[in-house]
Amino acid sequence: MNEITNIIEESVSNLFQSHANSDAVEVMESGGFPSRFWEEFYDGGWCGITLPEDEGGAGMGLAGGYILMRLSGYHAVPLPIVEPIISTHLLSLAGLPPQNGFSTVAIADSSVENEGSYHFKRVPWARHASGLVVVIPGESDARLVWIDRAQLKVAERTNVAGEPRDDVMVNNEALKGAVILPGISPARVLSWFALGRAAQMTGALVKALDRTVEYANERKQFGRLIGKLQALQQQIAVQAEYVNYARCAVDTAIIHLDSPQEWECIAAAKISAGEAAGKVCNTAHAVHGAIGFTREHLLQMSTRRLWAWRDEYGNEAQWATKLGDLCLGIESGSLWPWLTEQSHK
Amino acid sequence: MNFEPVMLSEKENALREEVRTFLAKQKHFLSNHSVIDPWFACVPEFSLLLGAQGWIGMTFPRKYGGAERSYLERYVVIEELLAAGAPVGAHWFADRQIGPLLLRFGTEEQKNFFLPQIVRGECYFSIGMSEPDSGSDLASIRTKGKRVDGGWLINGQKTWTSFAQNSRYMVLLCKTTASSDDRHEGMSQFIVDLESEGVTRRPITNLAGEEHFYEVFLEDVFVPEGRLLGAEGNGWNQVMAELAFERSGPERFLSNFQLLAEALEVLRSSDYREAARQTIGLLVTRLMVLRQMSLSVASQLQSGALPVTEATIVKDLGTSFEQEMVDCLRTQLVVEAGNDAAERIGQLLCGSILKSPSFSLRGGTREILRGILAKGLGLR
Repeated sequence: MNEITNIIEESVSNLFQSHANSDAVEVMESGGFPSRFWEEFYDGGWCGITLPEDEGGAGMGLAGGYILMRLSGYHAVPLPIVEPIISTHLLSLAGLPPQNGFSTVAIADSSVENEGSYHFKRVPWARHASGLVVVIPGESDARLVWIDRAQLKVAERTNVAGEPRDDVMVNNEALKGAVILPGISPARVLSWFALGRAAQMTGALVKALDRTVEYANERKQFGRLIGKLQALQQQIAVQAEYVNYARCAVDTAIIHLDSPQEWECIAAAKISAGEAAGKVCNTAHAVHGAIGFTREHLLQMSTRRLWAWRDEYGNEAQWATKLGDLCLGIESGSLWPWLTEQSHK
Repeated sequence: MNFEPVMLSEKENALREEVRTFLAKQKHFLSNHSVIDPWFACVPEFSLLLGAQGWIGMTFPRKYGGAERSYLERYVVIEELLAAGAPVGAHWFADRQIGPLLLRFGTEEQKNFFLPQIVRGECYFSIGMSEPDSGSDLASIRTKGKRVDGGWLINGQKTWTSFAQNSRYMVLLCKTTASSDDRHEGMSQFIVDLESEGVTRRPITNLAGEEHFYEVFLEDVFVPEGRLLGAEGNGWNQVMAELAFERSGPERFLSNFQLLAEALEVLRSSDYREAARQTIGLLVTRLMVLRQMSLSVASQLQSGALPVTEATIVKDLGTSFEQEMVDCLRTQLVVEAGNDAAERIGQLLCGSILKSPSFSLRGGTREILRGILAKGLGLR
């Protein structure tokens, strides 16, 4: 990791740590928006971290964005992070002007079109957004359009973690004038958001493990720390294995961005993070016992997010089916050569 | 814990092509031997060929016959060999851990004597650790070394010693001083010539019907002074230093890769193709990520680190993957397994089923590995 990355990590961690407390999360869960926190993040210019410097960004590319997403997952930040950053990136790629406030995203296909309007389900943070980026499948390249919040009909919904996942209706007319996203398929756009969730998940996985180890080292039963019990040690060891497994998968996908292997590495990242989420949450709650089942205990801030995020932008089964289909379709006898294309410059 | 991903360079890519070209000419070695568990298939002729290519001991210094290649280059060569099911068992332990052990702790005379022979693919080693009453609890071993004029006299018994019949030497761990309070103290490592007087080797047939592990009886076996490996009493630490090499390699998740590759061939044109997509996607994901984790450890070994905890994770997740793969695939394939099955897939499945218990036993059981991890996490 280079120096710039370290500085960014430190500065954003400090910001997240000072604001992402359970009060801010309660504000979010009761339908509000932690505005001061958001303003500090927004005014820091972090939504443009991926943009080139001549567009006012930090020149870090998507890889830089994923650093912030991972940190937001670790700190259970009750703000939209993935959607504003990637939407900003998409607008720039499409040559469209940046928008004030933040945009969220929806992917349009025929399944969501009905009688002159599009019905998008579970759009992240739509109620608080200033606009919606709609990605439309094209002949090969995706097309993209930005729609002002005023044109959206929003029905408020939430995910397992109480984060806004709203149903949005928009008139077909609003999608006219979409511009081409040169060289980028809709599947690729979806994969970038999926990697965003996976990156958040690795942050939350690390936090859940940290809390579990800490609790096992302070809770006493039968006259000794429960962390000294072999039965628990074995479970926590496996938990740590899956946390590291998911982290490696996500980091691998990040270094394969823009390579021909980008898509399959992202698929593996979302699958791995999803698989890890279930196992890691199970052990975290088993070790914490009843106290971890309370709303008051902070463990739920990580585990509820993991349960929600593993299903968003495609769950493990959906991604595995696509990846498996790809593998079954490659040339006979070439699974190994296909596999070893990964990690080659 | 560190699993920073690694990108290989043009250099490794070119080497990979070289290995593939070489293997394409060795088809008879690949078809005549068990391709499940290729690192337990012992074929000295093949080891000699690899030695001639410079692909054994490739990280060793030039002055001992090595090629001073990097651990990542070695990684590429061994993953190609294993994925192809090449019989690399004869020289495996010498290449993987005895060489590095000698380089770290051996005397100049030992390095000059053993390393060039290892590199040529003609000098094979077994590992003498387990005993009848000491499996996972390695520190409880009872084999003893007693100092005598000009060397040591060894008495005791080793078991589960792979390839003891094919190997000329065994690196033996034994007690050299009476037990103290610290059970890890007072152990030493020796290089024992298995053709010495007083050594008896007796094969043990495994449940797959093969004889690759042995009981080794040592009765007043004389080991000259010059064959003490490392410092007297430092045996336990030396064994621990091997673990990062022993537990992190691609052999921990590629033992039955041929089963997956063949399953893909069978499924692609079967009625079960649609139904199998998810299973294949999940298995390939495992393989992709484990490979990256293992590559990351290789790169850390290259930089001089000994990532023992990371290696432990690779081994536990990797061998679990090898075992789960057998169960996942057998229900997708709808084929009955048998060593003499007409279809190759049935044979591969049979080999995988019968060998799979050993995947997570050899080199430290699952429970031992998890105990090490717990300690690394600060829980013990």
